[in-house]
Amino acid sequence: MEETRHMEDVQIERFSRFDRVVHWLVAITFLYLFFSGLGIYSPKFSWLLTLLGGLDFTRWLHPWTGLLFSVGVLLMFLRWSKDFLLTSDDVVWLKNVKYYIKSEEEKLPEVGKYNAGQKVFGWLVFIGCVVFLASGVLMWFPESFPISLVRLSIFLHDLAFILVGAGFIVHVYMGTVGVPGSLSGMITGKVSALWAMRHHPKWFKEVMRR
Amino acid sequence: MSTVTTEGTVGLGLKRVSASKLPDPNIKRADTLAILVDISSCIGCKGCEAACTQWHDLKPPLFKEGQDFVGYQSYSDLMPSLFMMMKFKEGETEKGLTWFITKYQCMHCGDPGCLKACPSPGAIIQYENGIVDFDHSKCIGCKFCLSGCPFDIPRYDANNKPWKCNFCVDRVSAGLEPACVKACPTNCLHFGTKEDMLSRAKKIVDQLKRRGFEKAIIYDPPGVGGTGYIYVLPHGDKPQMYGLPKEASVSPWISLWKGPLKIFGAVVLWGTLLGAFLQLILFGPIKAGNKKED
Repeated sequence: MEETRHMEDVQIERFSRFDRVVHWLVAITFLYLFFSGLGIYSPKFSWLLTLLGGLDFTRWLHPWTGLLFSVGVLLMFLRWSKDFLLTSDDVVWLKNVKYYIKSEEEKLPEVGKYNAGQKVFGWLVFIGCVVFLASGVLMWFPESFPISLVRLSIFLHDLAFILVGAGFIVHVYMGTVGVPGSLSGMITGKVSALWAMRHHPKWFKEVMRR
Repeated sequence: MSTVTTEGTVGLGLKRVSASKLPDPNIKRADTLAILVDISSCIGCKGCEAACTQWHDLKPPLFKEGQDFVGYQSYSDLMPSLFMMMKFKEGETEKGLTWFITKYQCMHCGDPGCLKACPSPGAIIQYENGIVDFDHSKCIGCKFCLSGCPFDIPRYDANNKPWKCNFCVDRVSAGLEPACVKACPTNCLHFGTKEDMLSRAKKIVDQLKRRGFEKAIIYDPPGVGGTGYIYVLPHGDKPQMYGLPKEASVSPWISLWKGPLKIFGAVVLWGTLLGAFLQLILFGPIKAGNKKED
């Protein structure tokens, strides 16, 4: 018990200043893209367009925000793509993800700095961004492209929205309520030693060795 | 765009409204209207073109030197400030050199692809009489209507608002004929109920067939639920020569992202939200310090 309390007080660095700036650049732009996109995607949510600045304005800002988002994701890719390569342990982890959901992490292979779920979400964002950007440019300037490709683009943009949107919901839930102690990693950059030992033991040991 | 109120009890009845529930069709009733374009009696005077720009107060930029050659046409293409134009094309048929003339503007589809594709409630409306119109105050400028259109009609201004022929809805609702019809000197253009226009078109086609135009047809494509502009094409086997698609229909992509994909999206997104919530109340947060082994 003594030791646990002690470990809760020890803070170790998880995300650098650069990491945090890039993360929030992508997070805030995505938040605007998600809700403005939802307003365009579904008439039931068209009131969101009014809330986010008005019908025309929101539709106008959406593609520009998308460009900013793409820059952020590119930086993310350069920073994290190597860390997100899946290992054989990750495959085992994903196959047994039910234990993670049931809060029985100890039944899963030891996790490094990122668990397989985080890695998969990372790739979902990277690939999703490419689809969003390519189809988005066609939708932005439909008069400059063959109309059949523009129609396909709307479909792909919607599909990417659904899949990345679902990942985003899970990500926000896990980062806040689902896994307590995670949010501070992205705000102050530091997490408690206990949090690291529990959720990312392999990474924790590496940090301790240093 | 139009002077006609589109909501409430005033104005023309509505048949369809973009991104909205179907209006009750039992309140206001109107015959479906149509303009018949009988190409066989068109002399290519472009009076309709002039009448259109005059009535709608449009000032399309005039032909400039250095622009692509447009032949006998006044313009190379529709513009936000040009709702309709005459297209001319020369081609060979069994009758020798033939001049293919078309009146090119919004076709006022019975099942409008633009309206189907539009994500903004009320930005595109179809009146009970079949006229398809835009309401710029509700338009978000996404240009999806261009994807929905099988005839490549909407043209966008600097604010991304679409413009097109509105069938002179202001004149029609005041009991007048559309400006182009009014101006036509050869009776090539006729205006009336769709039923009347179809029977008139049929007579003209029969006459043409007697005169040796065996392939004459009425162009009223069923793929878009019929159109508000119907054409008598003397060379009906070559609609493309008139700039009209042979099989006009709304792209299946539109139905896909308006139908199954929307359901899929709702299931996935709401399901994910529900799943996260269930994880929380069934298993609780995945905490770092709640294990007994320490």
